[in-house]
Amino acid sequence: MSGKTADKPHHSSELSRDLNLFHVTMMGLGMMIGAGVFLGTGKTIGYAGPGGVLLTFALNGLIAIVTAMSYAELSSAIPRAGGAYNFARIAFGRGTSFIAGWMEWFASSVAGALYAVCCATYTIRFFNGLGFNLIPGIPESVVVKLAAIAVACLFLYINYRGASETGKIGAFMTLAQTAFLVIIGILGVVVAIKDPSRLDNFTPFLNAENGSWTGLLVTMGFTAVAFEGFEVIAQAGDETINPRENIPKAMLYSVLIVTLTYIGCAFATIVAVKAGPDLIVDGQVVAPWVWIGSHGGEGFGAAIERLLPRGGGLLVVLAVIFASTSALNVTVYSATRASYALGRDRMLPDSFSKISSKTKTPWVALLFTGLIVIGVAGGLKADQVAASASIMFLLLFFLVNICVLRVRYNMGDELEYGFLMPLFPALPILAIVCQGVLAVFLHEMGKVAWIIAPAWIGIGLVIYRFYSRERAISTPDEIQVLEEHEADRGSEYKVMIAVANPDTALSLIRHTYAICRAKHARVELLHMVPVPDQVPLSDAEKYMGEGREAIAETLLYLAPEFPLSTTIRYCRNAARGIVSAVRLKRTQLLIMGWHGKPMSRGFTLGSTVDPVIERVPCDVIILKGLTDEEYKRVLVPVAGGPNSAFALEIAGILAAQNDGEVVALTVTGPSGREAFDLRKFVDTHSERIGLPPNRVKVEMVESSNTIEAILEAAHSEENGCDLVVLGATREPVLSQFTRESVPEVVARRCKKPIVMVQGAGPIRSWLLRWI
Amino acid sequence: MTCNIIIGCVLVVLSLSAIIALVIWSRRSINRIACEQHHSARDIVRERKNGR
Repeated sequence: MSGKTADKPHHSSELSRDLNLFHVTMMGLGMMIGAGVFLGTGKTIGYAGPGGVLLTFALNGLIAIVTAMSYAELSSAIPRAGGAYNFARIAFGRGTSFIAGWMEWFASSVAGALYAVCCATYTIRFFNGLGFNLIPGIPESVVVKLAAIAVACLFLYINYRGASETGKIGAFMTLAQTAFLVIIGILGVVVAIKDPSRLDNFTPFLNAENGSWTGLLVTMGFTAVAFEGFEVIAQAGDETINPRENIPKAMLYSVLIVTLTYIGCAFATIVAVKAGPDLIVDGQVVAPWVWIGSHGGEGFGAAIERLLPRGGGLLVVLAVIFASTSALNVTVYSATRASYALGRDRMLPDSFSKISSKTKTPWVALLFTGLIVIGVAGGLKADQVAASASIMFLLLFFLVNICVLRVRYNMGDELEYGFLMPLFPALPILAIVCQGVLAVFLHEMGKVAWIIAPAWIGIGLVIYRFYSRERAISTPDEIQVLEEHEADRGSEYKVMIAVANPDTALSLIRHTYAICRAKHARVELLHMVPVPDQVPLSDAEKYMGEGREAIAETLLYLAPEFPLSTTIRYCRNAARGIVSAVRLKRTQLLIMGWHGKPMSRGFTLGSTVDPVIERVPCDVIILKGLTDEEYKRVLVPVAGGPNSAFALEIAGILAAQNDGEVVALTVTGPSGREAFDLRKFVDTHSERIGLPPNRVKVEMVESSNTIEAILEAAHSEENGCDLVVLGATREPVLSQFTRESVPEVVARRCKKPIVMVQGAGPIRSWLLRWI
Repeated sequence: MTCNIIIGCVLVVLSLSAIIALVIWSRRSINRIACEQHHSARDIVRERKNGR
């Protein structure tokens, strides 16, 4: 007995659901608008040119909406607190999910510390500008640090007050700052209409000194973080009303609003400055965009002061304070939820999942998040750690885009989706490529980030290895081994036989015997125990009885001939369990039975067979209706498809054991034109078929209806067959766009025993096994 | 330089159009899925394939 059942029960506390679509949209906006647009616009204009800033925000918005769609799809299907952590847990299991949550916690906490410092800096400068010296005799840098800690403590307390207060206060702040930026954008348009000469500020469009178009990649890299607010929306799954609808909508709306706002602000910043002799940099009169760029992070403020000469500077300072505090509020919230999820699943100490009975917030997780925020805000250099946070966010998004691929392929039939992204899998693959490119360009921000980020991940790996791995609870989606016996030695060619029904197990094995012998195989017997959702996994052993019986019968039959391994596993979904076992055991051929009953809703052959055929990374043989009869005449409809040769090979093996014959059948159109040369095809594969030429017949039937022609040939009483072997044609990607194929329809309608085969070429096998 | 301006403006417009189109399409899709009885990926893909 090598398996283990679910561990002891954990806290079943729930967070209160009181955030609506407006609140969660504003939370996402708040995290994005942060201080990024204020500091990033001037730098971007200086580096990429006046048109470059518009392109930077527009293209970044496009990349962000693609990643947001991945988040939206996963959040709609897995609407729980934890965001990327939960997605990775469902897609990959405990190890990867721990690292995802660990990175998420650190990245959000450090980002929160930076916003606290940013807010404190501008607040102190604001008071200094008014002539107030808050703490006389103490250097300004120390005052800023103390103020940052005070600001962090204030927002830790606000988060402690509860999700409702967090969302509502954050929503108010975000609404104010977004309104300010929208007004700026509108003013820019008005100024451009009144004075069209200001549109000349967009010449040159791109900064040739930094490589024109290639320079855009750099600016896209360092402004990408200003678009990543959907992570915090994903964190709010447990607290959002109707999360399957509201969370995907909030993610998409926030990216749309933020992109339009950024572009409006960037446009206003460029046209705000009128060309003239007063724009002097290093003693020379320069173009407006060069003047804005020369102000670096303060370029936005300098430009807006010219747009609004009376009080513009004060408004910018207030907007930065609003933006920083709003972003701080949201990042603290996000970091707390990440550590709460780790505690809830016992990856961190149980106390992390404790929820205050008074405020309904995870106060221990909040406390430790606060320690990181205060520690970083008070003690570390902000820029370098900010770059580390950016890299980890980017790695996190990279991971989420992989998760969306894996979850849809592996669990698409089990999860309830509220949103499904279009153009799948092209969009998530595009996002993965973009995240990779941006990560490379983030490297330009500082090499220290590439030391700090791996160090934090390394610490996480050590904690997981020596603490979390043994403690982590199993989730309903995991697959567990109940019993396993490994054969000592044997052939490298592994055949896995999935045994389900004890009544038909022996019949299944009798016919696979010949295939295993022909392949000189090492046999793996697998029995999946599907445990209903209503039953805890800890009770799964109650469902093992039939599996043991089936395994015992087949063992008696096969053991004298082949090296045998047996496994009994349980999971919520048999198809996923079988595919997982094939991947784990690196099996070359899977054989399984099919009841042949009418299809389940949405499936062509059945809810287990369909996903297995689509996803399994090896050759597959599906047997339907085989009895103890001897099959003397095996019909193989052949159309020259990828599985035709494999079908002929299996037909040859099955016919050979009873001294039978194989009949290769092809259906030609009414014109009589043969689709391909069947005789030549059979001759080419004669060695693979393994029968003498006189026991391999070729038949051609003329018909306009291929399916009816095959069924007629199979059911014919005079010249009919005992068994039909079909090559499957389904491919997981194409099956989304195509209607049912001929083999599937024939398999469903044919009353004779059926063997359906699907070969996995090396590329398909590799892709399915690793991606 | 004029070429850069034209290409740049086209890219900005195309990007914004794509973002807006994706958001509108997604909103409709979310509302439609919410009205349906079954929500597995296979069900939704089948419904889309059938043009509903």
